[in-house]
Amino acid sequence: MNSIKKDFNTMTWVLIPVAIAINVAIGQIVVLLKLPVYLDSIGTVLVGVICGPWAGLLTGMLSNIIWGLAVDPNALPWFPVAGVIGLVAGICANLGLFKSWWKVLISGFFIALGAVISGTPISVYLYGGITASGSSFITAYLMQTGKGVVEAVLSTNFLVEPVDKISTALLAFAIIQGLSQRFVARFPRPENAQVEEGQGRTQLFIAIGAVVVLVLIAIFVIVPLLPK
Amino acid sequence: MQERLSLYIQRDSWLHALNPLTKLSLTFAFILVGFLSPWYWTALVLVFAGILPLSFFGRVQREYFWTALRLLVPVAGFIFIMQALFLPVGTQELFRWLIFHPTRESLAQGFLTATRIFVMVSSFILFLLTTHPSEMMSDLTRRGLPGQFAYVIVSTLQIIPQMQAKAQTIIAAQRSRGLDTEGSYFKRIGALVPLVGPLVFGSLVEVEERAIAIEARGFTSTRQKTFLREIKDSPIDRTIRISLVGLVLLTLLAKLWR
Repeated sequence: MNSIKKDFNTMTWVLIPVAIAINVAIGQIVVLLKLPVYLDSIGTVLVGVICGPWAGLLTGMLSNIIWGLAVDPNALPWFPVAGVIGLVAGICANLGLFKSWWKVLISGFFIALGAVISGTPISVYLYGGITASGSSFITAYLMQTGKGVVEAVLSTNFLVEPVDKISTALLAFAIIQGLSQRFVARFPRPENAQVEEGQGRTQLFIAIGAVVVLVLIAIFVIVPLLPK
Repeated sequence: MQERLSLYIQRDSWLHALNPLTKLSLTFAFILVGFLSPWYWTALVLVFAGILPLSFFGRVQREYFWTALRLLVPVAGFIFIMQALFLPVGTQELFRWLIFHPTRESLAQGFLTATRIFVMVSSFILFLLTTHPSEMMSDLTRRGLPGQFAYVIVSTLQIIPQMQAKAQTIIAAQRSRGLDTEGSYFKRIGALVPLVGPLVFGSLVEVEERAIAIEARGFTSTRQKTFLREIKDSPIDRTIRISLVGLVLLTLLAKLWR
């Protein structure tokens, strides 16, 4: 309880609104550039890393709640997913997975996993599997081939989320590296963003290999285990 | 001052005068009843007998209509059509054309989901049209919500438009320097960095200053705070809230019994 309180100093409270605005602004730049990702949780991941998982959770949830309340109420039901993204990013950062950029790839995958797991029940129970996003065409196709609703939604999300969340984590990492150390040190968890030195190329191969293996495990091991 | 990001419309009406918490409970009651009710027609009845008349009471019917048309009709329509065509439930096929074979059940399911989404989003639209965000936050703070939450929500609503304006400026500036934002896929990915960088670093720099400023104004003080504006909470408000809770409980009972 005390450590949670320590994570919420004044800098954290001031960073949260800015992070939410970063989410929104970058999300809109990405739409303008017509890139096939969302990148609408960079600010959330940023808070999760330098202010801890609970601050990340709060930022994500408030981000969707405020966006839902002020602009587009369709974003509202997804607030737990946004919260989980910040929470997982914070946990990964506490475990030291934001210290070099190949580890960030793995964090990105875990964030995607969290988003998939938390998003599926909302998609299934609230929307009956088919939501308003474009990826619903894939879900609809999978359901036509005889898959159950849960399975179809999970498979779709596993196709869409990892790319988006890994890019998000990498961009958040790049932003933190661009900030001055003096500035980062004012936040509750500056040690999460300290970079480790290492030789680049082998680590890159390890990271890409790890991500591929994790995606394959997710598709071939976890999905078939689910009840039909 | 910069314009706030909000749907709120200033009108003098009976609905505007209600306590924010009452309107919030009304919104959640509509959503819960819409989703819990075991009947197909409930959500539609809620829209036509609840939300629509209330929008006339609140004298925001025009704004409600246009916001719903813009935000909601495309979404609900998309969900209805996709579910009716593709949900693999039921056996009674209505017709078969190419790969589409909607059944009676998938049509019903699509209708149910689309009307529920309609109720959920449009009751929020009504709430937002008639409730000022800072009024809602100060009422909730008075009822015990930590002040930091109110700060986050109200200041986010101020920062987002500023940030959007800043993003537009940066995009225009980089384009005038010849940044390609409409070229090939890789060029557009490359354009992300010169656009995102200045935006994010520029706004993060302000964080420290702002933290010092609000700390100097007693942000972290734990003393009891007083309120500049009194927000009314009449006996009528309390009666409405209690009857809404009753309505939700009745719906829950109906769902359990069937």
